[in-house]
Amino acid sequence: MLKLSFTPLSTTFPSKIIPPRLLKSITTNTLSQAPQTVRQNDTTTSTNTPQHKLPPKSAYIHLPFCRKRCHYCDFPIIALGSSSAPEEDPRILNYIQTLCREIKATSLNSNPNPSLETVFFGGGTPSLVPPKLVSLVLETLSSKFGVSLEAEMSMEMDPGTFDRGKLKELMELRVNRVSLGVQAFQDGLLKACGRAHGVKEIYEAIDIVKACGVENWSLDLISSLPHQTPEMWEESLKLTIQAHPTHVSVYDLQVEKDTKFGVLYTPGEFPLPSEDLSAEFYRMASRMLTDAGYNHYEISSYCRSGYMCKHNYTYWKNEPFYGFGLGSASYVNGIRFSRPRKLKEFMHYVELLEDGGVNCEDDSTDAKDLAMDVIMLSLRTARGLDLKSFAKAFGCELVLSLCKVYQPYVESGHIVFLDDKLKTITVDEYSSLLSDDRKMSEVPAFLRLSDPDGFLLSNELISHAFGVVGS
Amino acid sequence: MVCLSRASKTLKSKYAQFSHFIFIGRANNGTAPVANSCNSRLVSPYSQLGWRQNAFFCSHSCRHSIKDGSSIDLSQYPCDKIRNFSIIAHVDHGKSTLADRLLELTGTIRKGHGQPQYLDKLQVERERGITVKAQTATMFHKHNFLGSDTYFLLNLIDTPGHVDFSYEVSRSLAACQGALLVVDAAQGVQAQTVANFYLAFESNLAIIPVINKIDQPTADPDRVKAQLKSMFDLDPSDALLTSAKTGQGLEKVLPAVIERIPPPPGKSNSPLRMLLLDSYYDEYKGVICHVAVVDGAVRKGDKISSAATGRSYEISDVGIMHPELIPTGVLLTGQVGYVVSGMRSTKEARVGDTLYHCRSTVEPLPGFKPAKHMVFSGLYPADGSDFEALNHAIERLTCNDASVSVTKETSSALGMGFRCGFLGLLHMDVFHQRLEQEHEAHVISTVPTVPYIFEYSDGSKLIVQNPATLPSNPKHRLTACLEPTVVATIIIPSEYVGSVITLCSERRGEQLEYSFIDSQRAFMKYRLPLREIVVDFYNELKSITSGYASFDYEDAGYQTSDLVKLDVLLNGQSVDAMATIVHKSKAQRVGRELVEKLKKFIDRQMFEITIQAAIGSKVIARETLSAMRKNVLAKCYGGDVTRKRKLLEKQKEGKRRMKRVGSVDIPQEAFHELLKSS
Repeated sequence: MLKLSFTPLSTTFPSKIIPPRLLKSITTNTLSQAPQTVRQNDTTTSTNTPQHKLPPKSAYIHLPFCRKRCHYCDFPIIALGSSSAPEEDPRILNYIQTLCREIKATSLNSNPNPSLETVFFGGGTPSLVPPKLVSLVLETLSSKFGVSLEAEMSMEMDPGTFDRGKLKELMELRVNRVSLGVQAFQDGLLKACGRAHGVKEIYEAIDIVKACGVENWSLDLISSLPHQTPEMWEESLKLTIQAHPTHVSVYDLQVEKDTKFGVLYTPGEFPLPSEDLSAEFYRMASRMLTDAGYNHYEISSYCRSGYMCKHNYTYWKNEPFYGFGLGSASYVNGIRFSRPRKLKEFMHYVELLEDGGVNCEDDSTDAKDLAMDVIMLSLRTARGLDLKSFAKAFGCELVLSLCKVYQPYVESGHIVFLDDKLKTITVDEYSSLLSDDRKMSEVPAFLRLSDPDGFLLSNELISHAFGVVGS
Repeated sequence: MVCLSRASKTLKSKYAQFSHFIFIGRANNGTAPVANSCNSRLVSPYSQLGWRQNAFFCSHSCRHSIKDGSSIDLSQYPCDKIRNFSIIAHVDHGKSTLADRLLELTGTIRKGHGQPQYLDKLQVERERGITVKAQTATMFHKHNFLGSDTYFLLNLIDTPGHVDFSYEVSRSLAACQGALLVVDAAQGVQAQTVANFYLAFESNLAIIPVINKIDQPTADPDRVKAQLKSMFDLDPSDALLTSAKTGQGLEKVLPAVIERIPPPPGKSNSPLRMLLLDSYYDEYKGVICHVAVVDGAVRKGDKISSAATGRSYEISDVGIMHPELIPTGVLLTGQVGYVVSGMRSTKEARVGDTLYHCRSTVEPLPGFKPAKHMVFSGLYPADGSDFEALNHAIERLTCNDASVSVTKETSSALGMGFRCGFLGLLHMDVFHQRLEQEHEAHVISTVPTVPYIFEYSDGSKLIVQNPATLPSNPKHRLTACLEPTVVATIIIPSEYVGSVITLCSERRGEQLEYSFIDSQRAFMKYRLPLREIVVDFYNELKSITSGYASFDYEDAGYQTSDLVKLDVLLNGQSVDAMATIVHKSKAQRVGRELVEKLKKFIDRQMFEITIQAAIGSKVIARETLSAMRKNVLAKCYGGDVTRKRKLLEKQKEGKRRMKRVGSVDIPQEAFHELLKSS
């Protein structure tokens, strides 16, 4: 998952691991225990601590097992093959035990720690893991952090890897949200991506989800697959809408180096759709799903009202989160850390963690990095960047430059400014603000990318903002 | 010299004895009458300990003998015991290897020591197998001459082979009385062989044909002999057959030099006249000039003047290259060596200049010409903020290559930069390569152009070195345009004649001569506009002849021509750095190619971009680059923010490196690519 960010670490591993928890946190523990306890109970104090340094209320758990690797996948996974039954596979048991040890060995920097509000089992194919082992993980999480009764507990599940009984068992463990990896509704496309299931399994899976009464579930699709035509994509979107999920994720295919697709294909070239067609796929999804009553609340996420993925939203709000398991990323105490992607190294890392050998280099993230993270993440959402709180954290000057750098893109309709009543500021109103710095720093309350034009060019637009922050 | 100065730089005074040791090790081989007591010690085994002691010891005993030049008594070498010669050849015919062998044979360098292509010091020379700067080496050789063993002083004056440097070559040849004309036994006479032969012939040199590489399986010396006879009227029986690689036939070379080349004709009792052959800049010594003493003698402490600049200097060091600098305190008539005279910059050392004693009056040596720049191109820092670094790099490089003209200029697209004038294409290429290799400068260079002359009805005359400076809509009527031309020599296997004729006529060439060297090779002469060969002619020629063509050219003055300025516009705004001057008949095609190429290399941006080529206000070619449709990472994997942010930061960096015209970002590659087409 986190190959790029991990590479520099792996060379120094194990002598110098950057930490999930930090020496710093230990000192804060002893020195500031009292105020932190107070902070937990007192909302007025908590506004003084930047939100990204509060204790996490979300946890991502990586369950890396798959039957086989899909052709587009560059995640840290462990392919089991098709022979063994997951219930008896020692590799799964061993991994779950290590995972639990990692959770236990994690040091806490506040007391009491808030209970977890979201837990997300991602993979891999988490639905391959036997429920009794999932239960082990959840028990460990519960006793370590506590899991709130209302917690959103999501699990990524692939068609063909679970039956009604298994899902029931998981639901008894309080898994209450399913993210179903459908990807496409055409057997040909599924096969071409190396998926381990067909369309038949998709319908069976949808039926199981419905029959078990999972209220909150997401149907995940991939657009711009090789050989995908507009007709196929339209069909997939229609069938998705017919299945009535509460949430739809639409991921644009990323051709990653060192994957089978990366070797075979070049983005924009046959059999992948052209850039124009791929953009059209994005527009189709946005149009059809919005028309069907879904909110396009994030670049690749759609939901029925009230069914946003709370876990993912913590990322976009730049809130802290734990990460456990192979290759997972965490953001604790303002520090982003990616775990080893290789099993052996991961095991070693957990041992070091238990021995207290994982030390922190105090690389306090600087304000620029933080500002860039906030911009990049918030602009993924329909809500956009909250300019008022951004100004509070990073200064009015920066907000003013941001407002100005986007001038051509406000005019072209890629960028939208909203006032504090969430009313869109028109191009004319914006133009008149340009000549008045005072008003420009007062009137706009939110900055967002338009849907779909702004979203489609998000990288380009965000990198403009980076130019402002970095200069 | 480069090696030596590096060594002394790192060793400095503390280890001075080692550097002397290196010095001696190179210099000393005992074939010459060098009164050298520590000879035998020097070749003693290189045990770790012994090496150190030897070094220490030798540095004392030898310092006097070699450093003050008393061991080399130049007065023992009057003109009749001196031979000054040069090696001339087509590229890759083995000139540098032959030079290496001769240096080894005379013990000037030790076999297997020192790097191959000894006289080619620059990285670019080694990589390209060419000689850019003239070098000289003095050798001592014992020869049974007229019945008695006599020591001779032989000066090998290595010249650049390429036409760009033909003036430098002609000056070097002026210091010689003979030349080894090296021809590859398999490839036979090539274009540069012809050009170099005529240069030597016009300088009245004794020419010794050397048919080299006879060890090759495809060698055909008899055919080459026949070519030499038919092309140059050289007697086949005079040709030496050698293989510099295996050593075969090499023993005949130096005797031929001594017996067939006349001694230098200078007058030892006349006032000093010294020909300046080349110069380079040494960080410690300053400007070092290679000189040939034509008449009289020069001594350390002498005051000299330059005929070209009128400036005066005092000789602080004088000596020979053996092959490293060996001070001798004196250079006598006919001898070749170096002088250090306190010149500040190589710009003061004009190739072909005459140096003479201050209070004397002499007739300057004939043939001096100031450098003539044939090709111009703009050089800009790839990253706008690196202007100072580029400025510094260019200053340092021109210290060693005074033949480049440099003026500052500004482009709206590329910012501050330089307009540089070069002797020719290779010279330009070499300069670019040296900037990048030796000075680590990253540059964008504009499409090379030639100096045009535009004449207007009000009698004004504009010499255009940068197309951007030519008004697109002039105030006065244009009365004439003149462009520089060359006469090109092309030698090709006869089966390619048809396609070469087509190429030359496409390039507006006029055939002057067409004949056959032998049954397999055709010889053609064309008058071509310089502009037409500036960019890709040679590559094109090589590709249509499968690499068998050889090509050379010489300046042939100006001709009137129907020229227009072609502007490139992005969203209506002209890009000054891409403006070019073309022949009217070609404007349409060149314009079309330019916009197509740009369309390929400019990335789609948030807005639609129109790319146009225009003459004055008339658009002759147009392309549209549609707006970018999609640039999004649809998934932020499992909260892995770091990876995505790196990606976006890279994107931001990429933007910063682009050149901006109006609202359009132009990647550097677009400029590089334009260079590749005419």
